Amino acid sequence: MSNGINRREFLKRSTAAGIASVLTLTVGNEIAKAESELSNKATIIDLTKCDGCVNLGTPACVTACSKKNSDKFPVVNEELLKPYWPQPKFEDHSKNKDITDRLTPYNWTFVDKVEVDGEIISIPRRCMHCDNATCLGMCPFGAIEKENSGAVCINDELCFGGAKCRDVCPWSIPQRQAGVGIYTKIAPEYIGGGVMYKCDFCSDLLKNGQKPACVTSCPKNAIIFGEKEELRKKVYELAKEMNGFVYGDKENGGTSTFYLSKIPFEKINDQLKKQNTSPEGPIMGRPLMEPEIENKLDTVTGMAISAAIAPIAGIITAGYVASKRLKGEKTDGK
Amino acid sequence: MENNRKIIRQSLSNRIVHWGIAISTILLIVSGFGNMPMYKRYNIVKLPFGEFLGSFINMLYLHYLSAAFLCFFVFYHLFVHYFAKEFDILPRKGDVTQSFLIIKAMITKSQEPPSDKYLAEQRIAYAFIGGNVLTLVITGFIKMLKNLDSINIPNSINTIVTNIHNAATMLLILGLIGHIAAFIFKENRKMIPGMFTGKLDEDYVKHRHSIWYENLTDDEIDVSNNVTKEEKKFETSSM
Ligand code: HEM
Ligand code: HEM
Ligand code: SF4
Ligand code: SF4
Repeated sequence: MSNGINRREFLKRSTAAGIASVLTLTVGNEIAKAESELSNKATIIDLTKCDGCVNLGTPACVTACSKKNSDKFPVVNEELLKPYWPQPKFEDHSKNKDITDRLTPYNWTFVDKVEVDGEIISIPRRCMHCDNATCLGMCPFGAIEKENSGAVCINDELCFGGAKCRDVCPWSIPQRQAGVGIYTKIAPEYIGGGVMYKCDFCSDLLKNGQKPACVTSCPKNAIIFGEKEELRKKVYELAKEMNGFVYGDKENGGTSTFYLSKIPFEKINDQLKKQNTSPEGPIMGRPLMEPEIENKLDTVTGMAISAAIAPIAGIITAGYVASKRLKGEKTDGK
Repeated sequence: MENNRKIIRQSLSNRIVHWGIAISTILLIVSGFGNMPMYKRYNIVKLPFGEFLGSFINMLYLHYLSAAFLCFFVFYHLFVHYFAKEFDILPRKGDVTQSFLIIKAMITKSQEPPSDKYLAEQRIAYAFIGGNVLTLVITGFIKMLKNLDSINIPNSINTIVTNIHNAATMLLILGLIGHIAAFIFKENRKMIPGMFTGKLDEDYVKHRHSIWYENLTDDEIDVSNNVTKEEKKFETSSM
């Protein structure tokens, strides 16, 4: 297993080095700088320890998260709560701020529960903070940032609320609130739809060297926080000890969240699928755990290479055609 | 009596480049908009091919594929004319005033100032469309780098590049509307066959592109008629 990781790391770094050397000096320096300051953090979510806070009304991490982030939740302009023309609907959660059993713009983590082989499993869910986050790569406004800690954050001042990030996130994590954000200042009925909200890995706490609120609030120490590379090793060690499974290291090309479980994630996902799908389709804000999710952005790398070769092919063809043309002129002259 | 002899205006190479760039640009606009969350919202997905258009990943593939084609043609175009030292279409000093005079003449149906191979407004259109396409190519490449797993583009650069890419898209669309709208003028329509067959009517060239006409090379006279420019001139003037 460690072999596979090494090979992947190696591939990643060698392509990075190759491409970085092609880049101009300034951009190259920027990247090198970003790379050296990078100290990726991660969490292990240990499903063998989490009991969903059976004794509490609301799990402790969920309460801690909403308390910590209450000043970041959307403040809605009621007058702008109008359907997204020409659609008849709009997404408003401002009347249901207290919902804690799914992700909403006002609830960035929740604990899902499934029963597999007679055992109840509690699964804290939130953004995975992917390595090559599809939400970030595909945001048409460049409104999503990845910080050095690995935290993937949506800038609520740039977000237009088109919800593309939710469509391209393998777990449909970001959630939309209408009536807030930059779109309200342009043509609110016709373009944009609000702002997308999700877990930001407690980015501000991490910058101060502190741990995320959900980590520190957990009475069972079910969420372990630390340096990413260390935790990656650790989660596989733990999995080996208990003959268990890891979810989140390979999915979507790698994330900063490693779930640890004794029960295979395929079984958990089968259960989740049953519970979190309605006749109309998947229930919003209640993600599944599909195994082996490939990163859609990785699938276009080959095409990016062809696009990079195209200019060179163009120049070579130009040289060929021009030289033939010049030769032709000479023979004409004779 | 009408003179139906032709002048060769656009080489096969130019025609392939024009239509190659035109088709890939249109596909890039379609797939670029498909990369924004709008086809679902504005019910485009309900039209034929809507399902294909509604998928972000399909639109991303189409964008990359057409970007590769566009880049091939753009670089081919830049270098073939550079190697062959053909700069007829580059803007010149005074083109803005000149195009104003040409457009005024077309509207008032009066005499246009003499033009070279390209009208002044064509040279400006070229610079405007070309400048935007080049901006899109450069920013597009940075956006592609950002999508690579191994590359971390700083957030500030990503946001700026994305906004330039989007703004250049809007300007390019305006430019293309202008380009197509130019053919509303009857005078300009005579240029259209040039982009298909490569040839224009001699009468048209003589009247509208008189500077170019005076300096035509042998290559530019349709040899299928087996006559030289002098003979042609003689024939037309004696008619
Ligand atoms: C006529 C030329 C082009 C037009 C009109 C165009 C338009 C657009 C538009 C509207 C978007 C969506 C908004 C956004 O993400 O910024 C986009 C995205 C993008 N374009 Fe272009 N583009 C053009 C050429 C190119 C070229 C030549 C490249 C690459 C060399 C390129 C690469 C990209 C990439 C990588 C994205 C982001 C896709 C994603 O990650 O979601 N584009 N383009
Ligand atoms: C779809 C319909 C289009 C038609 C009918 C058309 C037709 C033409 C014609 C007749 C010319 C003039 C050629 C000459 O002077 O001999 C021309 C030039 C040109 N075309 Fe297009 N074209 C189309 C689309 C496009 C598109 C999509 C682009 C996109 C990049 C484009 C870019 C240019 C440029 C840069 C020039 C040179 C400047 C100028 O003459 O205005 N064209 N086109
Ligand atoms: S889990 Fe979804 S929202 Fe979170 S970083 Fe990954 S793609 Fe983005
Ligand atoms: S990391 Fe912070 S924002 Fe994310 S779920 Fe935990 S407490 Fe909430």
